Amino acid sequence: MSRAGRGSEPHAAAPGPALQGAAPGAGKQSASHLLVRAGEYICALPIADVRRVVRALPLHPLPGSAPELKGLAELGGDPLPVLDLALLVRAPQGTNPTYPVTVVAWAGPPEERELVGLAADAALEVAYVPPLPAAGGGFVAGEALVAGRVVRVVDLAMLGAPAAGGGSAGAHGR
Amino acid sequence: MPPTYSGRPAAGNGEYAGRPAIDQARGSRPALVALSGWLLLAVLVAVGSALLSLAAASGAARWPRDLFVIGGLGALAAYGAWVYRFFQGLERRLPGEEEKFRRLERGLVQAFAELGAGDVVRSLTCTGLMPERLAGVFRAAAEALSRLALQIQDSSVEVASAADAVNHLASDLAAGSSQQAASVVEITAAMEQLARTAAQIAESASRQADLAARAEASGDAGAAAVDEAVAGVEEVQKRIAAIANRADALGTRSKEIYRVLDLITEIAQETHILSLNAAIEAVAAGADGRRFSVVAEEVRRLAQRSQESVESVRGLLDEFAASIRATIVATEEGGKEASRVLERSRTAATAIGELRRASGDTSRVARQISLATQQQNAASAEVVMTLREVSQVVQRMTGGLRELSATSDRLNALGLTIQLLAQSFHLESPRSLKHLVEEWAALLEPIDPAGRQEALDALVRQTHFVDLAYWVDERGVMSALAVNPEMIGSRPRLELAQLQEVDLRRRPWFRNVERERRTAITSPYRSILTGEHCFTVGACLAAPEGGFGGVLGLDINVTGWTRI
Repeated sequence: MSRAGRGSEPHAAAPGPALQGAAPGAGKQSASHLLVRAGEYICALPIADVRRVVRALPLHPLPGSAPELKGLAELGGDPLPVLDLALLVRAPQGTNPTYPVTVVAWAGPPEERELVGLAADAALEVAYVPPLPAAGGGFVAGEALVAGRVVRVVDLAMLGAPAAGGGSAGAHGR
Repeated sequence: MPPTYSGRPAAGNGEYAGRPAIDQARGSRPALVALSGWLLLAVLVAVGSALLSLAAASGAARWPRDLFVIGGLGALAAYGAWVYRFFQGLERRLPGEEEKFRRLERGLVQAFAELGAGDVVRSLTCTGLMPERLAGVFRAAAEALSRLALQIQDSSVEVASAADAVNHLASDLAAGSSQQAASVVEITAAMEQLARTAAQIAESASRQADLAARAEASGDAGAAAVDEAVAGVEEVQKRIAAIANRADALGTRSKEIYRVLDLITEIAQETHILSLNAAIEAVAAGADGRRFSVVAEEVRRLAQRSQESVESVRGLLDEFAASIRATIVATEEGGKEASRVLERSRTAATAIGELRRASGDTSRVARQISLATQQQNAASAEVVMTLREVSQVVQRMTGGLRELSATSDRLNALGLTIQLLAQSFHLESPRSLKHLVEEWAALLEPIDPAGRQEALDALVRQTHFVDLAYWVDERGVMSALAVNPEMIGSRPRLELAQLQEVDLRRRPWFRNVERERRTAITSPYRSILTGEHCFTVGACLAAPEGGFGGVLGLDINVTGWTRI
């Protein structure tokens, strides 16, 4: 797993699990999150943590691993652990995805960020998600209302941290 | 003992009818003979004289004439003397000859009187008074008459029997003819009914033939229509096949379109991902990348719209493909249905063809039936006419048979009449009833009156044609009565006591016998006792002191008599 330092972009996600509606004129705000579908949920990934979006990579399952870890993929010659985002956010199983994607993002605490792949059912758009009034301290930092849809804001820094709030972490190694 | 002959001549006055002529001849005939002899001699002399004178006139001598005259006169004298002596002798023999002639006359009168009464037997007893030669001739004539009478009896019986048989046969035939006439009438009615039925069948068959012909014509039209339908269905099937091929081609093309859409979708997805990555990179670029993020967003939107358009096209294409599939399914169903319709149409064509043939056959058969029934009708009409003629013939035959029966009845009566006429002769034959009853009388007369009944019963039982036999004295009182039980049968018996109180002298058979004093036969009548035809033969009985002593009567059953 490759590691990299935390980027210079400010973390736009506001902490707190409370549902935060988009402010008027939010469409004119700069995009802050990548919206993806994971099962029945729409999750918002901080765009600063997202490295790129690729089509679902071929995976090599790892026997005996946690269910959230779908397997290892190869990206640019390096192995990339791929996590099931729907399981991470405990989303109900949705319909069969037509065009699944793998979101390559930095995850983990800032000092231990690792590049991971998040398997999602679809990559929707890059959108502005208003800051959460109070962070929940978990992988799912909170919920926000974007264009009339409820999105679950994911805090990738909490990936691998002990479970807090409604989120789940500990996908690898800890 | 048979009753004695009364000796009364048939004329009833005791004199023969030719006696005056004999007496007249006895006085006038000799003188006439003498006178005629003299006249003959005178004529001879005159003729001789004339001849001699003629000879003298011719110059001959006179003495021959004179000699002839003298000789002739002498001859005349001698002739006169001879004639005189002849008549003198004749006058002396005449009484004896007259007596002989009277006996002969009496015998002949008696014999012919008996013969005229039909009693040939007694007429033969009179031949003793005749010369032997005449008696022989008379006996031969009587025997010939007897044979003739017997032959007439036999013939009359034969005629009566034949007439009776013909009567029975004619009656049977008349009854049979009546039944036959009735049967002919029934057969005629049945044949008329058959003729009417045949006419109805012919009419029905004709109508059926017409209907069958119409059905055949309709079958022709139907066959043509079915042929057209078959052709149309085949064309439809071809067109459905063409539509199916085109639908298959469209399906193939739509699959290609799907592949293109999939490709476009993939490109749109890739573009979408690419736009997202561009947006990510723009965000990473900070303020410098903000304009790029706008472009990335536009690209993403284009990709999204492309994807949405593709989805829309896919939806339309899905509908199109569904329509094509439905079309294919419909064409397949249509093809199958067309095949079924074609098969049914061909089956219908085959059925219509068979129906046409059947209708044609039916029409022909119906016409044949109509023709046959018409012929049958005509034949039945001819049979009816023939039967009517037969009926008329049978009726005429029945009438003829009835006439024949009546004629045979008359012939039977005639035979019986002839039999009775023949029985009016008393013949020396067992077939002569008069002879029979006189024999019975001869047997019964010597018997004591006390034993007469028993003897009469014994005699009656020996016959098969005597219903009753009775002895009636001169006072008309019945003293003995014998009833033939075989002829009476179960009918009520006739008792003597019933008849002894009846005066029988007025009965025809009694009066005839009493008047004629000889055996007599009555005309036939119907017996009160047996109900059958019979006649009575009555024999004259002689009283002990002479004279009429009564009548022995036999009631002869006609049927029984003719049977023997």
